[in-house]
Order: sequence, then C-alpha cells, then structure tokens
Amino acid sequence: MTPREDELRSGLSAYLSRQWSTETRVETISRIPGGASRETWRCAAFVGEERRGLVIRLDPETSLIDTDRATEYRAMDAAHRAGVPTPEPLFLEADLSWLGRPFSITSEITGCQASADAIPDAHRETMGRRKWTLLGEIAALDPLALGLADAMPATTVETCAMEQVDYWAGVIAADEIHPNPVAEAAVRWLRRNQPPAARKLSLVHGDYRTGNFLYTPDGEIAAILDWEMAHLGDPLEDLAWSLDPLWCWHNPARAGQLLPHTEAIRCWEAASGLKVDPAAFNWWRVFASLKGIGIWISSSEDYHNGTSKQPILAMAGWLMTDRQQRILADYLSPHSTRRFYEAKA
Amino acid sequence: MIPRGSEGVRHLATRVVADLIPKAVDAYTAADLGLTTALLDMVAQDYDRAVEVLVADQSDMRALFEAALGSIDDAALAARMSAAITARPASLHVKDQSAQADIAMRVLIDLHAYVEDAEARGEARASALNLKIWTFLDVHVARRAYDSAF
Repeated sequence: MTPREDELRSGLSAYLSRQWSTETRVETISRIPGGASRETWRCAAFVGEERRGLVIRLDPETSLIDTDRATEYRAMDAAHRAGVPTPEPLFLEADLSWLGRPFSITSEITGCQASADAIPDAHRETMGRRKWTLLGEIAALDPLALGLADAMPATTVETCAMEQVDYWAGVIAADEIHPNPVAEAAVRWLRRNQPPAARKLSLVHGDYRTGNFLYTPDGEIAAILDWEMAHLGDPLEDLAWSLDPLWCWHNPARAGQLLPHTEAIRCWEAASGLKVDPAAFNWWRVFASLKGIGIWISSSEDYHNGTSKQPILAMAGWLMTDRQQRILADYLSPHSTRRFYEAKA
Repeated sequence: MIPRGSEGVRHLATRVVADLIPKAVDAYTAADLGLTTALLDMVAQDYDRAVEVLVADQSDMRALFEAALGSIDDAALAARMSAAITARPASLHVKDQSAQADIAMRVLIDLHAYVEDAEARGEARASALNLKIWTFLDVHVARRAYDSAF
C-alpha cells in the first residue's frame, strides 16, 4: 500500500466509523482509472465481517471540469430516488479534516465495466436502445418535484439555451491558450440563430455518453455515472451531447458506438414523450460541440498551467480539441462535406 | 539535435507499450501509460510539422488580409490588418512563430465577425470574403489534425 493509499484508508476508516456509529475498517483501496474531473477510489470497508464496497470521489487538485461537488451529489441522489440506475449516494463531506479534500461516497456496483471499447458487439444495439430510453426517462422527470430547484442555478425555458452559450463562451475566453477561430465562429452562429424555447425544463445530466455508465457482462446498464455537469435545462441538450460525433469517431454511423442515430432518437422520443424539433436539435448539436471545445480547452489550460500533469488532461486538451474543431467546421463551413450530418434528427 | 526526431519520439512510445505497460503495478498506472504513448505519438507528429503549420497559417492570413483590406470600413480593424500583413516573427522558433500566428489569428477572428455582420446587411462582397475565410479555416483545422487510433 502506498503512503497515499494508507493515508486515505486511515482517514476513511475513522470517517465511516463515525458516520455509521460502529467501528469500521477500510482494508483495500485502489484508484480507478479515468475520472478526469474527480479523483476516484474504490475501497472495501468492513463492519465486523460484513463487507461494504464503496466508491470515493475526491475533489481534485485540478480537473478537466470545474464543477460543484454538491450539485453532482444532489443530482445523482435525485435521479436515484426517481428510479434511474445510479450508485446509491451515501455521504457528501466538505470537512477537510478527514481526507484533506472534500469528497463524496457512494455504494460500489460490482462486476461491471464502463469501457466503450469492451462492449461485446452482440450487446451493442440492445444497450443502445436502453441507453437512449434511460435518457428519455431522465428528460421526462420533473426536476422541481425532485427538489432540485435549490440545488442548481435557476433558469427558464426561454433563457436556458443562451445561458449555456454564455457560460461556455466565457470558459473558452478565460482558458484558451491560443485563439480558436472556429469556436468563435460557432459562438456567433449560436447567438445569431437562437433556438425556440425548450419544451420543458429537465434535469440535464450534462455528460451523458457511452463510457459514463456501468454495464454488466450481459449488456444491462447498471448505473449512470459522472453527474458533475448536471443542471436544469433543455432536454435536447443531453440528446445532442449524447449523439456528438466525437463519441463515435471511428464509426460515425453508430451513435455512441452502439446503434444508428435515428434509432437512438426514436428511443429517446418514445421514453421522453417529446418530439425532436429538427431545427432546435441542430442548434443543440452545434452547441454540444462548442461545449466540447470548451471542456477540452479548459483541460488543456489545466494541464499546461495547473498543478496536475495527468495525461488524460493532455489527451482531452490536444486530441479532443482537434477532433471537436473538425466536427464544428463540418457543421458550419459552407465548403463542408457534411461528414457528420447523418446524425440529423 | 535528436536524429530523425519524430521517429525517435515514436521509439519511446513503442518502448512504453512493449516493456513498461506489461510491468504496470495496477490498472490506473497501465491506463496512464497507455494515454502517454498516444500523447507521445502526437508529439512526434507535431515535431515534424509545427513550424510548417504556423508559417503556412500566417502566410494564408496575410493573403486574406491583403485581399480584404480594400473592403473594410472599420479603420481600427484595417490598421490591425495592415500591421499583421507586414509583421514577421522574431525567429523560426515555434514559440516566436506561435506568438505571431496568435496575433494574426485574433485579427482574423475580428475580421470574420465584421464580415458576417456585413453579409447579414446584404453586402455582396462580404459573402465572397466569408467563403474565403472559411476556406482558410477548413485548411487551418485540417493542418492540425492528428492521426490517432485512440
């Protein structure tokens, strides 16, 4: 066990003993790969002989996404209470005395994978239909009834789209190391071509894509992860993000590497009860790629100027910026070959 | 100098894949090393092309500014375009090339916004210029594309 692992094991044992009012010992702990926005650890905690698998998410020294831990926790908690498959949220802790940083703890879901590349081909279509059905079910939830009004910034069906543009344009302006002419063109396009008001305000996951859910060996989606960018907004935002060509770069015909785009949209419409407006969806597709560039530029800035030198930050900042720019140019350039337009609603 | 620099960097990536990843002590370290090899391959690509990309971008932008200068009514923007046409980087070092390319790119972004506004007002010359700017942006993006299986 490394000194870091031992320090966490000790701090967690003390914390869990207090939370559960019984002596608890953490015996194994290991860091989970990925998780660019939080430092994520898996551990086994024992109360007597009873084993409890837990996942700990620590605020990072620097991260790919600047997010609020409480918002993430409360969004996941609301989704869990509404029956969306998520890990069970257990604790949210801001006191630095336990682990040196704020953290949250959820139950561990065992026997699952998240890797998009490891999904057996035989399960891809079934999993894809389930993936977009679940997203439609999230879109259909009433976030106010779930108590999310005081957990997330207020917005309206009329203003949510441009608020998102303003936010991500601000991130790009603040974090870019070099000027980004295609992103700037996209911001101007989004402002000139404002979408119609959202059909409803939904809980927007914010990063719903293959790789951000756990699946069982037989292809069942067991838990949706990574709620750190959750907010209230237009449900088309999540749909467009989930269908961004970046998530199926090497096989553009298969949304999220799973199933044809049109079928994904059909599943989402059936589950959400909403009909996709093609013009509004097209606007959100351009926005999704702008948001992507914002995240990748921000991670590049973190990598070059921040304290963390995690390779995943460089990968996002270098390769993903390149690909996302190519997607945006394909959407916006009058000379475009429309390589990515097969994803139209 | 590193002989055949790109090739040398790729050899490092191969070494990581063949010899270090199999010895990784845990999944987290193995994943980090996998990402590092993909990044090294991108560094190898940039090692070869960085100056070429930056010089070509600046040359294209200067040509655009020269073509557009006569149709720009905004005196401040026109002055910045004129300055960008005559400016040259302090050296062929990537740092100097990059700094000058950034200055020119900020002028191009403002020119593009100006042209879009003019096009929205129905100015025919603006449409042609907008097409030229997008021709440059398409090439600008393509020049930076990485070849990666990741």
